[in-house]
Amino acid sequence: MSAEQLAFYFFASLTLISALLVVCMQNLVRSIFLFFVTIFSLAAMFVFALADFIAVTEVVVYVGGVLVLMLFAFMLSNKELLSGLQNIAGGFKFTHLAGLLICGGMLFLLVSAISAADVVNLSWIKNGQAISENDNTIHQIGIHTMTRYLLPFEVVSVFLMMALIGAAHLSRRERRS
Amino acid sequence: MDFLTFSANTLCLLSLIALVFPFSSFLVILQLKKSQGATISIFNISVSLIASLLVFINVWNSTTLQQQVEWFQVGTVSISAGILLNNLSVLMMVLVSAISLLVHIYSISYMKGDENIYKYWAYLGLFCFSMMGLVISDSLLLIYMFWELVGMSSYLLIGFWFTKDAASQAAKKAFIMNRIGDLGFLTGLMIIYSQFGTFDIGRLFNVGGLVDSASIINGFWISESASVPVIWLTIAGLAFFIGAMTKSAQFPLHTWLPDAMQGPTSVSSLIHAATMVAAGVFLLGRVYPLFDSIALNTITVVGVFTAFMAATIALTQNDIKRILAYSTISQLGFMIAAMGIGAYGESIFHLATHAFFKCLLFLAAGSVIHQLHHYKEHHSLEFNHQDIRLMGGLRKQMPIAFITMCIAAAALAGLPFTSGFLSKDAILITSFEWAEGYHGFKKLVPFVLVLTSWLTVFYIGRLIFKVFFGKSNYKGVKDAPWPMTRILLILAFFSLFPLFSVNPLSYDNSWLLQGFVPAGVKPFDIFHLLVPIIVTGISAIIVLISYKLYGGTATKQLPENGLLYRFSNRAWYLDRVYDLLFVRSITALSIISHKFDTLIVDGLVNSLAGLARIISDIIHWFDRHVVDGLVNGIASLASKTGDFARQFQTGKLQHYLITMLTLVVTFFIITYLI
Amino acid sequence: MIPLSHFMIISAALFCIGLFAVLTKRNAIQILIGIEFMINAAILNFVAAGRFDRVAGGGQMFALFAIVLAAAGVAVALAIILNVYKHFRTINPDKIDTLKN
Repeated sequence: MSAEQLAFYFFASLTLISALLVVCMQNLVRSIFLFFVTIFSLAAMFVFALADFIAVTEVVVYVGGVLVLMLFAFMLSNKELLSGLQNIAGGFKFTHLAGLLICGGMLFLLVSAISAADVVNLSWIKNGQAISENDNTIHQIGIHTMTRYLLPFEVVSVFLMMALIGAAHLSRRERRS
Repeated sequence: MDFLTFSANTLCLLSLIALVFPFSSFLVILQLKKSQGATISIFNISVSLIASLLVFINVWNSTTLQQQVEWFQVGTVSISAGILLNNLSVLMMVLVSAISLLVHIYSISYMKGDENIYKYWAYLGLFCFSMMGLVISDSLLLIYMFWELVGMSSYLLIGFWFTKDAASQAAKKAFIMNRIGDLGFLTGLMIIYSQFGTFDIGRLFNVGGLVDSASIINGFWISESASVPVIWLTIAGLAFFIGAMTKSAQFPLHTWLPDAMQGPTSVSSLIHAATMVAAGVFLLGRVYPLFDSIALNTITVVGVFTAFMAATIALTQNDIKRILAYSTISQLGFMIAAMGIGAYGESIFHLATHAFFKCLLFLAAGSVIHQLHHYKEHHSLEFNHQDIRLMGGLRKQMPIAFITMCIAAAALAGLPFTSGFLSKDAILITSFEWAEGYHGFKKLVPFVLVLTSWLTVFYIGRLIFKVFFGKSNYKGVKDAPWPMTRILLILAFFSLFPLFSVNPLSYDNSWLLQGFVPAGVKPFDIFHLLVPIIVTGISAIIVLISYKLYGGTATKQLPENGLLYRFSNRAWYLDRVYDLLFVRSITALSIISHKFDTLIVDGLVNSLAGLARIISDIIHWFDRHVVDGLVNGIASLASKTGDFARQFQTGKLQHYLITMLTLVVTFFIITYLI
Repeated sequence: MIPLSHFMIISAALFCIGLFAVLTKRNAIQILIGIEFMINAAILNFVAAGRFDRVAGGGQMFALFAIVLAAAGVAVALAIILNVYKHFRTINPDKIDTLKN
């Protein structure tokens, strides 16, 4: 097993384990911070797919934006819940069983679909031009953004603005009349 | 005149000055909101006129200037914006600014006392700006933008007296009708862009430009960068023509123009006679090389038909402004028809002469209306001061209005020694020469045009004789004040031949026409002799007839209830037809779909909801009696089952999600396993 | 070089973990985290497949767009959560059962 593979599987297991912990953790603050770990290891896996720029963006957006937002929301919404939620009785619930079964079934379906698809031998993956380690992907992304993907880019920016306006509108203080 | 010769850069700067000054008056006046808007806007439009004249002197018949800057860039596509100065655009610049200046000065006294007068000046400034921009832009995209601005400012001006219901309705109608044309223009733009990849008029339409060098091979229209079936060439031409049709009020999109007479008369004069309606003809002139034979034939037919139809409508109208409006439509039909038969220069020539004499007709009619309105207010009478049946005998009371209007009417009728004679003859003779080479319906074109020009003589004669001859009903009405009448006199001079040609009887020597038609003189054929003589002779007879009919003191009552009379008086019932065809049918459609909605769709939804209610009632009953009974009856294991069944109706999102996913996953696992 | 199918299996696992959180958690914020996991699983697939698309760069570009959209989604979702909290005084989806009536 090469060093690359070793590192990859290390990060992969780190991702999955931390994600599981995030999901199972009863303490909300801890689970939010563990989410942080998941995102970082996920970004590391992006690097293994030679998408360094995406990895950096992922970290910046999630750690810089999403996580902070979540903590804020948590702090704003949990004055009295703070005490109540953190030690919800961890008893086993029916929904847990159902959820577990559904997710297990889903995993089974996805994995069998992946193996049935035999992705490694798809013609466009086998014959397609793969990104090599020496390529300057950031340069490529910059060019693509302004040429081939200009329309999606514009649409995304409009969408983003709509989302921002919507968020601002939703969370504004209600005026007492 | 060396000191008046400028370099190319200075000329472009001058034309920018001519463009920007009216716009600045728009901004400044809207900011100030004061009534001294008149001074500002007259100063600005004068600067614009001087700049235009300087540009005109330098560019006319000598050079074609085009300067552009990069406007914006999208990906690898770069769009430029710039100025294109050639004979057509400098002529239009001078025409627009000169007539605007005259109308501005006229408006000082005409609009005196209106409370929102500053808005009037501001809108006029906006209009002049957009019209100037339209004529000097070198890019179809820019022209399109200014085209929209022209429509917008005309909307504002038509609805200037927006408290009058009719005025706001008319403004709305004009605006909506113009949207149809904009759609056509836009279609043309898109076709041009996809075919040639540029909006640059210079590159597209110059001799040897992109449109010129595109070829048609095997039914395909092939340019440097693209090749499409040749039908698209026709469609592009027709699309631009639809754009021109609405702005220039051609059948069947002309109905907004007569209604637009609800605006102030000075506005009607500026917009709906001289400049804005000319934008359509101007557009045709700009994209002229694009038209193929089908498009040209369509243009000819529409133009000729419009000219004839509008003339017949004008015969029986009684509102002085409506008569003039229909005569405008008719004259525009002449210009469009001239474009269609390839008489490009003659069409522009008629555009220029028509601008002056139609402006004069409107302003003179405006002065009559203005004076009668004051008379009415002064004596607190109640009558329609625009109805020509109620006028009469004003010849002695308003001599200046009478004389100038007679000159303008003579020009409209195409009587000798006027500018209209030159340009109308030019179109008629060219149409005869053109028809020589064809058979079938094309032979009819010149005859219909001649017939239309005789109708023109009759209705304008009727207007003059009814208004100015006969017995006067109003004692003490005087000519309009000097600031208004001096404008009439200036315009009257411009409506005579000297401005356009030294020889009053032959258009061939007109400097204006020679600017557009190559100098190689056409062979002098029989039409040059016959057409003016016959047309003028019969016109003179028609003038006499109409004098007999309307000029006497005891005006003979013509039968006013014949089928033809009603047909003409109601403008061929076109408004009614449109109302029936579009408004009513759409209303009916929406009523039907509303019914459909309430009865069928809502009914379906309601019955579905009812069904769901019944089902859920059943399930509820089942829950209550069977499951609960079971729970009560059997032990704790059974109670768990009951809990399980109930949890599907918890109202909790996650439970619904679980249910849904269970079904989906189960379904796929089963299909996978089988 | 890691084979594509490994990436995809990991992404499938991450997706299922996210799904589990969405189905079972008692706190709207944790549900949101579950949704983020699912989106990130999809992004991982994009990136992994995008490695073989050097010319068009589709995978990476759309991964970028997806990140941006997910962030926007979070902003809106959190605003909604705050409003829900204001209205119901709780963000436990179990207690919000107005759908039942």
